Amino acid sequence: MPVRILLVDDHPIVRQGLRTLLEGRSGWEVVGEASDGIEALDKVQTLQPDVVVLDVTMPGMNGLEACRLIQRRQKTSGLEVLFVTQHDSPQMMREALDAGARGYVVKSNAARDLLEAVEAVSQHRVFTALARSPHASC
Amino acid sequence: MKVRILLADDHEIVRRGLCSLLQKHEGWEVCGEASDGREAVEMAKHLKPDVVIVDIGMPHLNGLDTTRQLLQHDPQFKVIVLTITDSDQVIREALDAGARGFVLKSDAARDLVSAVEALQSKRMFFTPRVNDLVLAGFLEKGHAISRNEPPNLPTLTAREREVTQLLAEGKSSKEVATVLNLSTKTVETHRSNIMRKLSLHSIRDLVVYAIKNNIIQIQMPPRIHRTEETTVA
Repeated sequence: MPVRILLVDDHPIVRQGLRTLLEGRSGWEVVGEASDGIEALDKVQTLQPDVVVLDVTMPGMNGLEACRLIQRRQKTSGLEVLFVTQHDSPQMMREALDAGARGYVVKSNAARDLLEAVEAVSQHRVFTALARSPHASC
Repeated sequence: MKVRILLADDHEIVRRGLCSLLQKHEGWEVCGEASDGREAVEMAKHLKPDVVIVDIGMPHLNGLDTTRQLLQHDPQFKVIVLTITDSDQVIREALDAGARGFVLKSDAARDLVSAVEALQSKRMFFTPRVNDLVLAGFLEKGHAISRNEPPNLPTLTAREREVTQLLAEGKSSKEVATVLNLSTKTVETHRSNIMRKLSLHSIRDLVVYAIKNNIIQIQMPPRIHRTEETTVA
């Protein structure tokens, strides 16, 4: 199933790593990149991705704020947000899901969890995985 | 002859990004990847890379101590430190540890290739944002680069710094002993010596000390401001 993905992280080297991982999957396309929450809002509007892969800690507008605004503006579009973050914290994960995200994976295990996470959230299933616990998908 | 580069970062995603960036450069080869400092030191001894790129914030053995151990083993190693912070103290410690390059992770896509090229030409490289800071620091204080103990931690041995990091990461003495291939009793002795030398009274004090002295790094979560929708121009 084709999936159009927007990558949002303030580190270009992280975006490059995510891109090499995602573009290995047939039918998946990274349609754009953003380096902060404000740029992300703009690119969601213009590119209409299926999934936004979003970091939490970014300059300007952080990922949680961006997620809330994205979800408020894109209510009927079917777009889903997947957080990929350094914060290996159940509390942060709860904040992310409360902000409207469908998925949450930790950067230290992104190579292990990312593909499965994108697959799940693109089908509107929740996917969460902290570093020390097995993933949950429903 | 290819330039052989060893990467050390605990995030595979970052290593993939670095690999992708470096291997586009003709004549360069990523000869190995390590996910912590200890692994990096062992791999470097075996692979003898031309350049080692180390993340500062790695588990088990941080990037600064990795740099020190690499250069103790072979002063010819050329090390570039990758970091998320450009604080004065971190820069100074990286230089004192013997690093020849200092690149901010946020600028790595722009600066890392230049850094490797500089080191290959026997020059040092600092991400432009810290260049002025480094020069100002050297001119003002007549700072001398030393490859021995870091100035902020004059009383801890290299082994004690290793034990400090592992304890601050939350490992028990038994777990530290396993990582370092020591007896638990030896680790307990190191622990007592560390606490005594630094006048610390609890593990919490030790963690605070380790954070202040860049032995471990933590990332603070963002402040959550729940506001009305922001108007974006």
